Amino acid sequence: MAIIEVHNLKKSYDGKMAVDGVSFSINKGEVFGILGPNGAGKTTTLEMMETLRPIDSGTVKIAGIDVAQDPQKIKYLIGVQPQSPAFQDKTKLTEVIEMFAAAYGEKVDVMAFLRDVGLEEQANNYVEDLSGGQKQRLSITTALVHGPDVFFLDEPTTGLDPQARRHLWDLIEKVRDRGISVVMTTHYMDEAEILCDRIAIMDNGKIIAIDTPKNLIKQLLKRGFKKSLHVEQANLDDVFIDLTGKVLRDTR
Amino acid sequence: MKKSLFTVFTFAKINTRRFFRDGVAIFFTIIFPLIFLFVFGGIYGNKTGGVSFNIAVINQSNSSFAQQFVSNLESNPIFKRKASVTTLTDAEDKMSRAELDAAIVLPSDFGNVAKGSPYPTGQVQIVYTQNNQQSASALNSILQAQVQAINVKLVKTITPFTITMQQFNKNSLSSFDYAFAGLLGFSIIGMGIFGPVNVFPELKKMGILRRLSTTPLRVWQYFLATMIGQVAIGAISLTIMFIAAFTVFNLKVVGNWFELIIYLLVSIIMILGIGLALGGWAKNERQVAPLSNIVVFPMMFLSGTFFPRFLMPQWVQGISSFLPLTPVIDGIRLIANEGKHFADILPQIGLVGLWLVVIYFIAFRVFRWE
Repeated sequence: MAIIEVHNLKKSYDGKMAVDGVSFSINKGEVFGILGPNGAGKTTTLEMMETLRPIDSGTVKIAGIDVAQDPQKIKYLIGVQPQSPAFQDKTKLTEVIEMFAAAYGEKVDVMAFLRDVGLEEQANNYVEDLSGGQKQRLSITTALVHGPDVFFLDEPTTGLDPQARRHLWDLIEKVRDRGISVVMTTHYMDEAEILCDRIAIMDNGKIIAIDTPKNLIKQLLKRGFKKSLHVEQANLDDVFIDLTGKVLRDTR
Repeated sequence: MKKSLFTVFTFAKINTRRFFRDGVAIFFTIIFPLIFLFVFGGIYGNKTGGVSFNIAVINQSNSSFAQQFVSNLESNPIFKRKASVTTLTDAEDKMSRAELDAAIVLPSDFGNVAKGSPYPTGQVQIVYTQNNQQSASALNSILQAQVQAINVKLVKTITPFTITMQQFNKNSLSSFDYAFAGLLGFSIIGMGIFGPVNVFPELKKMGILRRLSTTPLRVWQYFLATMIGQVAIGAISLTIMFIAAFTVFNLKVVGNWFELIIYLLVSIIMILGIGLALGGWAKNERQVAPLSNIVVFPMMFLSGTFFPRFLMPQWVQGISSFLPLTPVIDGIRLIANEGKHFADILPQIGLVGLWLVVIYFIAFRVFRWE
């Protein structure tokens, strides 16, 4: 059953199509990854789904509600993890959770949410004392404080060390196990391969492939792809480069 | 509605707590106005004895009468004699540099007793510059009175009409009492404008407001939460200023306290709106700094915070009377110092109300989450 339906979504900046007629649907309880080089339109697509960017044309429906028509209702259904989470300084972790819950008009068991992400020991610390990975975890728990149906993450592991990344993967799987649909963007193919049930690969504002990681690799091998050193194995990295080319993209 | 207000109060509570953890913010909203209070209190508070004149006395006469006249002048607290000045050229030089208000010259024949006359005669000269006409005429009347007293002693005359003076001290206002309203205005503008102007663009730069905009939090809830926090902080800051003014500078408030407090609270909210509009509109600090200076400085100097408005040229007074801070300071002054009631200050209340509507209309329109 689809929880998100995106139909022919478009967005242009200064005449350049950032998102050019994207359509896909995301099933309830799955982890859906949006992959692509810089400037492919991943973040813009995500932001239109999150009510952060006005939609030029096309529709996004979450749980049957049109994002453009009723953004306020959508906000109760979604949790958002921004690319680089930041919090007001001189604020305790408990207060951060309290505030985010209050934004939804709710009062929650603050310690339970901190325990969920292993931050109960830092409960009375100020947010500026947290490490990058701890901030990511705090941000995740604030996004879930109101029990959303969909959880959006924009490049959640960028800049984290391998341990913090793996910890975050576990967390995202735990979220998925609660029945929350997860939509994430990433640059890391291993991350997508391990976490995502299905992925969409974007380039130049268009989706150029959408399937499970396994199927995408299978299809590549069917086309006669062979790795130069390891004879028969290919991974998602290869799929990605094959589809989007090797040219370095520096634009955002 | 209950849920909406729960949101507002939670944000207000946590943000106010945050404020009290921030030493720099405390310094600028509470300590900084207090420093100004003490500086201006020091300037205005010491003038308890009223006016005095810096004068030079140039005595060119050798008569004993002249000597006595001079020592009489010296014992009068109104005159501060510069004893080092003994020649007219020296005095003129000092007057042109405003170090002296006037020179009193006793000519060489002053106090001489003419042949066949039972009493001494003479003419006192007051020498002054163009800039000191007011002091000179005041000096003139003082000396006139002294001379008159001497004359009466020397020659029996009948005086059918006389003038007596009596000082009326009850409930009068010191210059500090007047300056205090301006200092309150300075404090209100400092916390109301520089608070949000410093905080909002930084929150935007870090993406904190953007993150909040993905929650159902509304702009009015965010504004109202800021407002409640600001009023609480403002109440504390102004209370401290009042306590300092009462204990150190003998502040006198003759008006109704209830009306004064209501007027102060509404003023804090109105001025805060300017900060919300500027900070809410600006994307970053660089954008907001010049604009907030353009808005704040005219009010700081023209609304009567430090310099009384009646000293300004007529056309400046005309313009400055419509600045948002002017009715705030005037209103405080009228209530606190002159004991006026709301019914007497309707023009000020109307202007504050009008600005309140205009400012918040703009603030809501220009607000951006990122």
